[in-house]
Amino acid sequence: MANKSFGQKLLGTWNTRTIVAVAIGAALFGVLMNYGGIPVFTNTSLTTAMIVPVIIGAMFGPLPAFVAAGVGNVIADLIGGWGMWFDWSIGNAVAACFVGALPLYGAYITEGVFEVKHAVIYAILCALGNMIAFGVVTPILTTVFYGGDLNVTFLQAFAGSLSNILVEVVIGIPILFLLARRYKARTNLEEE
Amino acid sequence: MNNRMVINYTPGPTLLHKLSGFTKVFLFLVMTVAIIATYDIRILVPLLILNIIEIVSMKPNYKPILIVFAITFVTVTLLGNVMLFLVSPDAGLNNVGGNHILWQGPGRLYISKEFLWYMFVVFIKRTTSFASVMAFALATTPSEFASGLNKCGLPYKVCTIVSLAYRTIPDIANDFVNIRNSMMMRGVEMSKKASVWKRLKNTVYLLVPLIFTAFGKVNDIANAMDLRGYGKHKKRTWFAENEPTKWDKIFRVLTIVLLIATVYYVVMYRFINPWPAKFWCPWLAREEVISVNAIDTIFFMDWFKK
Amino acid sequence: MKEPIIKFKDFGFRYKTQKNPTLYDINLEIYPGEKVLILGASGSGKSTLCNCINGLIPFSYEGEITGSCIVNGVETKSASIFKLSNSVGTVLQDSDAQFVGLSVGEDIAFSLENDILPRKEMVPIVEKNASMVGMQDFIDHVPFQLSGGQKQKVAIAGVFGEKVEILIFDEPLAALDPQMGMTAVSLINNISKESEKTILIVEHRLEDVLYKPIDRVILMNEGRIVFDATPDELLRSTMLQECGIREPLYITAMKYAGCSLEGNKNLCDLNELEFTKENEEKLKAFFQEKREELPEIHGTSEIKFDHVSYSYSGKRNVVDDISFEIKKGERVAIIGKNGAGKSTAAKLLCGIIRPGTGTITVEGKDTKDMSVKEIGEKVGYVMQDPNTMIVKDIIKDEVGLALTVRGNSQEETDAKIQKSLETCGLYKMRNWPVDSISYGQKKRVTVASMMALEPDVLVLDEPTAGQDFRSYTEIMKFVNYLNKELGKTILFITHDMHLAIENTDRAIVFTDGKIVADDKVFAVLSNDEVIQKASLKQTSLYTLAMKLGLDPEETIRSFIEYERGVK
Repeated sequence: MANKSFGQKLLGTWNTRTIVAVAIGAALFGVLMNYGGIPVFTNTSLTTAMIVPVIIGAMFGPLPAFVAAGVGNVIADLIGGWGMWFDWSIGNAVAACFVGALPLYGAYITEGVFEVKHAVIYAILCALGNMIAFGVVTPILTTVFYGGDLNVTFLQAFAGSLSNILVEVVIGIPILFLLARRYKARTNLEEE
Repeated sequence: MNNRMVINYTPGPTLLHKLSGFTKVFLFLVMTVAIIATYDIRILVPLLILNIIEIVSMKPNYKPILIVFAITFVTVTLLGNVMLFLVSPDAGLNNVGGNHILWQGPGRLYISKEFLWYMFVVFIKRTTSFASVMAFALATTPSEFASGLNKCGLPYKVCTIVSLAYRTIPDIANDFVNIRNSMMMRGVEMSKKASVWKRLKNTVYLLVPLIFTAFGKVNDIANAMDLRGYGKHKKRTWFAENEPTKWDKIFRVLTIVLLIATVYYVVMYRFINPWPAKFWCPWLAREEVISVNAIDTIFFMDWFKK
Repeated sequence: MKEPIIKFKDFGFRYKTQKNPTLYDINLEIYPGEKVLILGASGSGKSTLCNCINGLIPFSYEGEITGSCIVNGVETKSASIFKLSNSVGTVLQDSDAQFVGLSVGEDIAFSLENDILPRKEMVPIVEKNASMVGMQDFIDHVPFQLSGGQKQKVAIAGVFGEKVEILIFDEPLAALDPQMGMTAVSLINNISKESEKTILIVEHRLEDVLYKPIDRVILMNEGRIVFDATPDELLRSTMLQECGIREPLYITAMKYAGCSLEGNKNLCDLNELEFTKENEEKLKAFFQEKREELPEIHGTSEIKFDHVSYSYSGKRNVVDDISFEIKKGERVAIIGKNGAGKSTAAKLLCGIIRPGTGTITVEGKDTKDMSVKEIGEKVGYVMQDPNTMIVKDIIKDEVGLALTVRGNSQEETDAKIQKSLETCGLYKMRNWPVDSISYGQKKRVTVASMMALEPDVLVLDEPTAGQDFRSYTEIMKFVNYLNKELGKTILFITHDMHLAIENTDRAIVFTDGKIVADDKVFAVLSNDEVIQKASLKQTSLYTLAMKLGLDPEETIRSFIEYERGVK
């Protein structure tokens, strides 16, 4: 992955494997959104689904992460049966672009490369991506699409982005370190 | 978990079920545009009734739909409206353009007729959107969804992602349950006995094997697809996309009519002869409406002005 | 002489990600209409060889090709996978992964869709191919309603195009229960007879494939073809042991009886086999010989199910009023086809689900009052696929996970990890990355991670799935050690009859949520009625006994007694 151009890293290589992986990512997103929540209070839970675009991004780049989160969200909405809310799906997809940008700054998880400096950049991008997605994109879309009040949507989106950042950093970073170490052991050139 | 899903994997027996994937996706997309583009109860209520008729015609199992609607939707709306009242009591003025005060509370809190109207229309708008998604989900199988999207112009590789995702969801949900069980036996606490922080950290134990199990199948599936010529041509056809029948033609014409009507409404009421506020209201005549710039209503805009 | 349809000449292949080649000096000619078995243990290169024929190499797997491989007149190096897929149909090992459509019809139509065939033309072809494999009444069914065998039939129908000349079956038996495996072998045989297509079967389960005739066997070992002749000749040779392939059970019995393998007609087909006079007598004498009886196990009660029932939806009981008792130190096989209730019983035992009625006791304690975590300290459950269990990257951390999350002290944890690693023979590998070891070793790691909690019972779910004979033998040796030396009670959830014969004392057979047999393993395996009910397959010992006119129960008992006595 390291020898690819910036554009290739951004867009990903769309062969059959990528398509299958993104589809599985979308399915995983749907499953985690529906069943993988961590209950905090009644009716409120931290969703772990946003870890999926991180992993897809780490393997294939930000655009595949974007698609996985977007399609995953639509599917999660259809499974859950709570309606389809494009303001949030698009917001999640935009955030996915940022959290899934790992190859752009040299973190190649499948080749076992993930260091502290990558973790720092990752955490910053998580904060930035969520702020842009849920601080700007989602509130504007909520107002435009559904006529929601700007002030209320800002507050809701702010709470949503905080919980996403919490999950992406607290769970995401240990998972990325663990995955990098495990993938490194797999890329052993010597046959057993 | 299958009984929790609203979307059906097998096609149903009614007229709507039998329409082709393209007809259903096209209708859904136009419907969504119409709902999103209009803030006018005169448009939304007919659309809501139309969607309810669609849902009823399919004779679905109402219980899960009503439960989700009652729990998620009503509570979210209720909470949202309480928040709205506390944060933006001006919402009626800002969006509807009138200020007939019914009740003056302490400080800046008050309720106006327009505030209630705004709440009501937003609720109708969201309910209509919910109903249109339900109607679509009940009528469409995932493969029809994928083939319909492709016919609407989305690249087929993206459409495959949709159908493949549906294909793998039950397997992944199954893996998820098995992995959670095995972790519970090893003593990883996921229930409310553990603190939120602990549970958050324990999720790592669940997600790592899930990621390896789920993505471990990528190669096999991709090989199976490559070996059967996936990606050979720039286009592909779909077994799930039925040939259009008489009813398909009728529905497609009706959808185009809806599309034209929506475009006409938007052009007329937003550009040629724009209504001064975002929401139409029965008791406010055009010249009574007070026009407010949406940007000015954001609370932190005041900080910049100072 | 016809032209070969597949021709390898001095062919070799090395994967880009590996240092050494996977295939060396392959010289092979296969003629149209032949039915060939490509036999080999895991890592022998048999699957790689097939991927060279169907074009996945070099399309999906980068690497270095030497020599030439011509399939149907086309040099594969320069042909596209799409061109090859017109003449080569491949049925992959994992029939679930191969099923990409959302209904039977869609999956059969998948390649037609990619050929931009209009739907009108697709429908008759789909119907024709579906009825060829007997799936014509299931066109609208979704994959989740189908059994493994049905999915495989769909996969066959999906690659069966007009122009396909060669059909490759990559480990067709791996995911099937024994009776479905027999159906699959018969189906492949019918296709071969009716269609005159060239058939390649890639497998390591020799006895199961030989259920129907094979023209030729190609045995692979460490990337080379080491044997290429008829199945009879293969059985007479000593190549099987050398290459880590399990020989048919009746051949083992013949060897135990001191029979010569020369001179018997139709050696590869037990039904048609004609023994020499001398052999027949030797076999009869062997099975009637008086031997030391198997020891009875008189342990205390370890697990007890008392009239346990359970249903998922409240409608039909998946486990229906079952009662049984397992004594300490027993090795028990829980057998039955998928959906018979054996996995549900295991889940009930572990406390993941709780009985609707009845009680389950472990060491005399009702599990009703115990949490899953507490039961986990008594009963260790090892899942089928080790990848669904492994979290950590280093072996010793993985083994210690259950102790760490329980918040044990550092010294205590370390001591227990060390003990478990030593018991499981992993101590030397403790600092190795989990992902650098083989599948079989991973399985051992998952057992070790259960052993760290020092449970008295180990439940192993399909311990032999996805493994070749070598790895199977290794794991069974290890499990038997845990049983004999440490007195652990072992429960196997399996449909592998070999495993039951060789490694268990007792078998409990499930059918439709009920127990239909609970007896000594030889008594169960010789009971034809039970075997039929549970969709199992008779072992060849049973057929052998019938052929020789002996009592099957005594025959199987004698075989087991001999085998246990030797080991």
